[in-house]
Amino acid sequence: MRLFDILRRSLRNLRTAQMRTILTALAMSVGTFALTLTLAASNGARQYGNTIITNNFDPTALIVSKDKNFFKQNTANQPQEYNPSFGTVTSAIGGSRQIQMLDDNDLARLRDLPGVKSVRPAISLGLRYITRDGARKYVATAQAYNAYRTPDLLAGAIPASIPTHSIILPEAYVHALGFTSAGAAINQTVRLAVNKQASASALTQLLAKNGANGLSSPPANSVEERFKVIAVLKKPSSLLVASNGLTLYVSEPDIIALNDIATKGSSDYHTYLTAYVEVANGTNSANLTTVQNEIQKAGYGAESVLNAEQAITQVITVLQGIVSIFGAVAVIASLFGVINTMYISVLQRTREIGLMKALGMHKKDVARLFEIEAALIGFFGGIIGSILAFVAGTIANPFIAKALGIGNTKLLQFNAAQILGLIIALIILAILAGFLPARKAAKLDPIVALRTE
Amino acid sequence: MITAQHISKTYGKGDTAFQALHDVSFSITSGQTASIIGKSGSGKSTLLHLLSGLDRPTSGTITIDGTNIFTMPAKDIDDFRARTMSFVFQSFFVEASQTCYQNVMLPLEIARAPLTQRKKLVREALSAVDLADKINEQAGNLSGGQKQRLAIARAIVNKPKILFADEPTGNLDSATGDLIIQLLFDMNRTMGSTVVLVTHDQELAGRCDVQITLKDGSIQTSNQVKHSKVKQ
Repeated sequence: MRLFDILRRSLRNLRTAQMRTILTALAMSVGTFALTLTLAASNGARQYGNTIITNNFDPTALIVSKDKNFFKQNTANQPQEYNPSFGTVTSAIGGSRQIQMLDDNDLARLRDLPGVKSVRPAISLGLRYITRDGARKYVATAQAYNAYRTPDLLAGAIPASIPTHSIILPEAYVHALGFTSAGAAINQTVRLAVNKQASASALTQLLAKNGANGLSSPPANSVEERFKVIAVLKKPSSLLVASNGLTLYVSEPDIIALNDIATKGSSDYHTYLTAYVEVANGTNSANLTTVQNEIQKAGYGAESVLNAEQAITQVITVLQGIVSIFGAVAVIASLFGVINTMYISVLQRTREIGLMKALGMHKKDVARLFEIEAALIGFFGGIIGSILAFVAGTIANPFIAKALGIGNTKLLQFNAAQILGLIIALIILAILAGFLPARKAAKLDPIVALRTE
Repeated sequence: MITAQHISKTYGKGDTAFQALHDVSFSITSGQTASIIGKSGSGKSTLLHLLSGLDRPTSGTITIDGTNIFTMPAKDIDDFRARTMSFVFQSFFVEASQTCYQNVMLPLEIARAPLTQRKKLVREALSAVDLADKINEQAGNLSGGQKQRLAIARAIVNKPKILFADEPTGNLDSATGDLIIQLLFDMNRTMGSTVVLVTHDQELAGRCDVQITLKDGSIQTSNQVKHSKVKQ
């Protein structure tokens, strides 16, 4: 028998036993539904994780620390000896550890490494306040602007190289500082105030005047610098950006100058916890890895976006595997349904099988008739399950996004190739489930079968 | 030409062994009609199964047009059966859920008949049994006689050289049965097919060119009817 004829007969048989076919396919669709949603959710989670990373980290840069173990989990169970030249980091959950800081010599060394395009210290400077004439004072944080991605602007423009004493203002400060609109803020002047370290003599005076209590409120010793607004950033539309939309951006030299003012006279002066190392042609991950190895060989700790991505992907893959087990169990359970259905089908058609064999149908073709029938049940189960999952996911996406507060992000991302692969896998499993009933049909003795009334 | 030489068939072994056929020999010339007569349990069905290659004899040979069918591998016997022979059964064995067209199509599909000729062959076969107007009717809706006519259409669609009919009138009233028998003899005449008829109807058997009477697994009488027409 030609394959086409067998296929047509299988389809006809399924149509004859419509209800049985639909129910068996529905049983298979339950597992498919779960697996399709699991795949969609992990696609979405992976994409969401990657979006967060690429929105917040320069993909061509490495984050470098003096301490090799900076990026590792704090595994030190032994007391660490105090070193006065190190900074102390206190973690939120209580433990504290000392971390070596990068100084200017380290930065120079990093700059000299092959493949390094630029090195800039990572500075996030807590300002005393930002204000302008006639406005209140507001707390703010300033960072150097890094143009690795194009931000959404409400007004103004960001030149390739930001002139000194220019500032990029987030949307949230426009009204706070009394501007009528984002456009009205452009070219206006704002003032940033930076705390200065109290000099030793000033502290001595204070101590003499107020006793120990005086130190808790050091003198208002700050410097104001004037900045011109060149652009206004749109508020991030979702939580995709880790920043709360309150960071001010200035040029690289400005942030260093401000930081110098703030730290002069302290042990933090010209020392940095981490630095960004821009890699030449860093979009090529091979270059990124080469420089990363180079830096690690020089005795520093270095971490790239790739590492972070890998970490996130790994976590998601493990979770996906765990959740998939439920779907897989449902599929396996439904396979017994397929076996049962196929046995019934063979029993019901004993006479027909006998006739076909008497008329000269090959054993192999008889087996194929039932295997294709099972395959079609698997196919229908896969199609029904994945369509239901797609419809349910498409309906649920806005609600999930709302519940999780992730803006317009679709957490359930359906991938046609994955769904196709899933359906093919189901077809193969169904054929395997149909193997024994098909073999029973193929081995049926036509003489015995035709005796059946 | 169908030749059976010294065929015996034994079921089971040792004490429980049952000899269904014992040293049976005869021959049927191509284009003849033959009847196998005997009471139930005489070995009629066993002989039919052996002649059609559905079963293997314990000893002896069956040659069809010079080919010893039991020297062939199972697959080749299947193909041989699909090309050269056909069956009509007492209980019709038509698929009630399928249309007449689909029922008659089955042997063509099994024999891998060319797609372009199938429709024409099915129409011809249904016309020959006077069921042309029922081509798209579900077989389940037909009467008993119509079902057996449908079975004959299915049996002749492939233009087989040999047509085996196993008590084809057993489930029909005598008037309808006569029509069916007439149809089988017509097929023998118009298509030149050898018809082998299993029956216990002596009168019917008498109308056949060759009569093989079985009793307890042995041939009692085997008559070549002298007045048989010369056929090819």
